Amino acid sequence: MSTAVGRLVRAELRLMMRDPLVLTFVFAFPIVTMLIIGGAFGTAPDPAFGGVNPAHWYVASYLTVVIAATGLVMLPVHLASYRERGVLRRFAAAGFPRWSFAVAELIIGLVTVTVACGLLLIVAVPVYGIPAVQDWWRVAAALPLGAVAFVSLGVLLGSLLPSARAAQAVGLLIFFPSFLLGAGGPPPQVMGSAVRHIAGPLPLTLLTNAVREPWLGLGPATGSLAAVAALAVAFTALAARRTVL
Amino acid sequence: MTERDVVTVRGLRKTYGARVVVDGLDLDVRAGEIVGLVGANGAGKTTTVECIQGLRRPDAGVLSVLGYDPVTQAEQLRPLVGSQLQDSALPDRLRVAEALALFATSRARDGGELLERFGLAGRRRSVFSSLSGGERQRLFLVLALLNSPRLVILDELTQGLDPAARRNVWSAVRQLHEDGTTVLLVTHEMDEAEALCGRIVVMGAGRVLDAGTPAELVDRHARRATVRFSLPDPPAPLLGQLRQLNGVREVERAGAQVTVHGDRRIIAHVGATLVLWGSVPDDLSVHVPNLGDALLSLLEPQPAADAPVPAHSELIGGRR
Repeated sequence: MSTAVGRLVRAELRLMMRDPLVLTFVFAFPIVTMLIIGGAFGTAPDPAFGGVNPAHWYVASYLTVVIAATGLVMLPVHLASYRERGVLRRFAAAGFPRWSFAVAELIIGLVTVTVACGLLLIVAVPVYGIPAVQDWWRVAAALPLGAVAFVSLGVLLGSLLPSARAAQAVGLLIFFPSFLLGAGGPPPQVMGSAVRHIAGPLPLTLLTNAVREPWLGLGPATGSLAAVAALAVAFTALAARRTVL
Repeated sequence: MTERDVVTVRGLRKTYGARVVVDGLDLDVRAGEIVGLVGANGAGKTTTVECIQGLRRPDAGVLSVLGYDPVTQAEQLRPLVGSQLQDSALPDRLRVAEALALFATSRARDGGELLERFGLAGRRRSVFSSLSGGERQRLFLVLALLNSPRLVILDELTQGLDPAARRNVWSAVRQLHEDGTTVLLVTHEMDEAEALCGRIVVMGAGRVLDAGTPAELVDRHARRATVRFSLPDPPAPLLGQLRQLNGVREVERAGAQVTVHGDRRIIAHVGATLVLWGSVPDDLSVHVPNLGDALLSLLEPQPAADAPVPAHSELIGGRR
């Protein structure tokens, strides 16, 4: 790949492999928490989990934790750090095409999500097993749409926040409540109604519903899927506009 | 505009909020020149070159760089310009050889030869964060030259370099000039401007105060000379004669030491007068102003340096 996007992607992939924050937060955190939470509720079907095996409920939920960790923690810090230190300015001055960096970051984000999700499933197989996917096309649509939405949101946050520290603080502040309320925490059935109302419209809750419900045969989650698609379009448009070199 | 015009700027104006940073600036750089843009901190030099590269959008003015408009044709222009920017960096964990691979386009020359020339051949596998300040500057220079640019913009080129490294970089810039590359050099180091630039544009408060060769600027703004010598009990008639010489403004005496101030003609006149009097002192010294003195006299009446450019003004390419 000798195009500008190709050169950026190649360099960024190398750098990502040398970055402990990325390796820990995007690759290790979802796997470790899935193993802990998935084991906490046992494997017997439970009405609080829609009548399915709780461990399978969490396996089907945690792919979206990977997506959120990439979009809300890894990318904003990465981009804000580049902007703060003048790296983007150097790319612009060196003649990298206007859209090359935004496209490269989108590719990097999607590659990260794919690899991290693959690792999570590989770890889940011998421990909890992977539940059968009941509605393939909806899951297959929700995952890439959600990945695009959160990667774009991460790029957008990175271009808006003034420094890497601010990006880390804001990213974590959004990530953890979203994680606990929308993906990795208790199921909605055991939440109080006020908490359930707050959790419902969060982007990560919508994405997790759009993946988990059709995966486990709990429902089509068409509304959630449509909302995730709309978020993907909106965040991508805003991110592309903000990250032109 | 002719083929020899590499940069043509007319009436460039740029403000940050209520602060006018560049105010109606005109600038011409012709092919093969090394032009120095000098001035105090906050004079608007960096903003000017950022507008020339298409990294900032001017509020007013007409710019043409290598025949392109930097505002509307930045994408075509930027690959033809090599720049060493102030306040920019590379990713901490990027290795030197990887940086070359990242920035090399189809126009790229032999990166290994450039690394060799700038003393970085042994640092190919070093990550950016492990390089010293001088090594980073030299790497930026290598990257600026990598894609055989037609115009090279160097902003505070030798900041942080030790004297030996500075000489090394200066000789590389001279080599560029011999190769026919046009160079726009932003600096506030007068010795650097004097050593490298064929023409100097002096900026103050966002405007061009004067422009010319170093010799012309010295001639216009620092024509004075000072001659000092000592004679045991200098005779009053000699001092009187010195005061009458062409170009002498003032003659001071402090004990045995005599100081004569005036324009440059006094150097010859004072020497000739002393020889005629048969009083040739052992310690005669002459101070002739240099470019630094000229620019100091040119810049002195200007307002104090402006505050730094706000970090979140709309710099294209990173939204700084």
